[in-house]
Amino acid sequence: MGLLTILKKMKQKEREMRLLMLGLDNAGKTTILKKFNGEDVSTISPTLGFNIKTLEHRGFKLNIWDVGGQKSLRSYWRNYFESTDGLVWVVDSADRLRLEDCRQELSALLLEERLAGATLLVFANKQDLPGALSKDAIKEALGLDDIQTHHWCIMGCSAITGENLLSGVDWLLDDIAARIFTAD
Amino acid sequence: MLAFIWQYFYTSFLRYWFKWVLRHVTGRCELQRICAGYAQGAERTARAEYSLKSSKSELLRSSVDVEENAVESRVAKIIHVKNVKEQKDPAFKKNLQVCLQQITGYKHLFVSVEELRNDVFDSEKEEHESMLLKLWELLMPSVKLESRITKQWGDIGFQGEDPKTDFRGMGMLGLTNLVFFSENYTEEARQVLSHANHPKLGYSYAIVGINLTEMAYSLLKSGELKPHFYNSVAGKPEMKHFHQVYCYLAYEFDKFWIEEEPESIMEFNIYREKFHDKIKKCLLDPEITLILTVDSKNEPVATS
Repeated sequence: MGLLTILKKMKQKEREMRLLMLGLDNAGKTTILKKFNGEDVSTISPTLGFNIKTLEHRGFKLNIWDVGGQKSLRSYWRNYFESTDGLVWVVDSADRLRLEDCRQELSALLLEERLAGATLLVFANKQDLPGALSKDAIKEALGLDDIQTHHWCIMGCSAITGENLLSGVDWLLDDIAARIFTAD
Repeated sequence: MLAFIWQYFYTSFLRYWFKWVLRHVTGRCELQRICAGYAQGAERTARAEYSLKSSKSELLRSSVDVEENAVESRVAKIIHVKNVKEQKDPAFKKNLQVCLQQITGYKHLFVSVEELRNDVFDSEKEEHESMLLKLWELLMPSVKLESRITKQWGDIGFQGEDPKTDFRGMGMLGLTNLVFFSENYTEEARQVLSHANHPKLGYSYAIVGINLTEMAYSLLKSGELKPHFYNSVAGKPEMKHFHQVYCYLAYEFDKFWIEEEPESIMEFNIYREKFHDKIKKCLLDPEITLILTVDSKNEPVATS
């Protein structure tokens, strides 16, 4: 029995998962986190540093890390990669100008060794805005179909209305659970 | 449990008997005793507020919600209902009036602040745009902004090339606070900005400012700022008084951050909470006023 198996066994006992939420600034990461946790989302200010929330969902203990997305903070992202089970990449679907920037940041993350085992959920956020691109357009723009290295899924969502947040997280949990809790 | 029963018993019965006895012994009603027994400020106004809110009389209870222009006539009504002899207690009318202006003014201030917060920054609105440009000019008088969308905004601590998305939940309240600080305490604001641009202890000036606006807003909303306003404004607090609280927080947070020497900007939320707790603790002191006092010894931080 290797160390990895022991670790897996320990995790299985606690059914604990670590989710890392990243994306460009103003994508809506903190709003998603707060909405998912049932908090007020009307008074959010830009995140400096990070927020962490631990919450119970479907019998899992989720540790969700929401790290600020502004350019000067992105070099710190790597400090949060360790033992991440799920990566949530949040996209502002109405911010067409920065989609290329968004694609580049995501593909750089997918090359990271310490994120190699993580499942990827892409939230095409702000679907409630009139100028928002559809999730298919986002999928195209980010080149998601080319991803071979990670399990992935894209969901259109709105952090303000809460639409699809639950289905996105549920898909993520199912995928992670299938990998780490039933591996042996 | 015992404390709870006592509390219930006290507020439901005992308090009224005490008041009744005191009223007949001293010949004064509770509000008169409060106004005479405490100097103008948080202690007096907070006690008057409690007394009004827990009164049996609908007229007294509703007094904490009257409009600004109805305060005077409401005080006259209270004097009548409570059968106060004005010639015996000539200061009472004026004192109660100040209390009531402070109590109702606080609520109205929150309404105005909420309105400004809900005013979303809109690039189509000329006044919003010119205010943003004014912020730049006040903070960076010697540097010209190359264009409206530019990386230069990062120099005063916005996140990207266009600050408009950074205001988010705080709307125009966030921008107005930033401009107010730079305009009324220009030297201090520039000094804080220079600290914020420190290579090691630096932080994003504007973004931290917006986060501190959120702090000031939540303190106002929860009522925790009452002692400050009751002590520092003898009447109805205005919007500028709220901006001044922000100035205090911006100046004090900067000092706090430098003293604490955090590892990096990633620790911001930890120190924000620490600072928040510190301010909340200060606000428990009934004598508190959160007034920015400029400390001449506060030199720029060495960049070694």
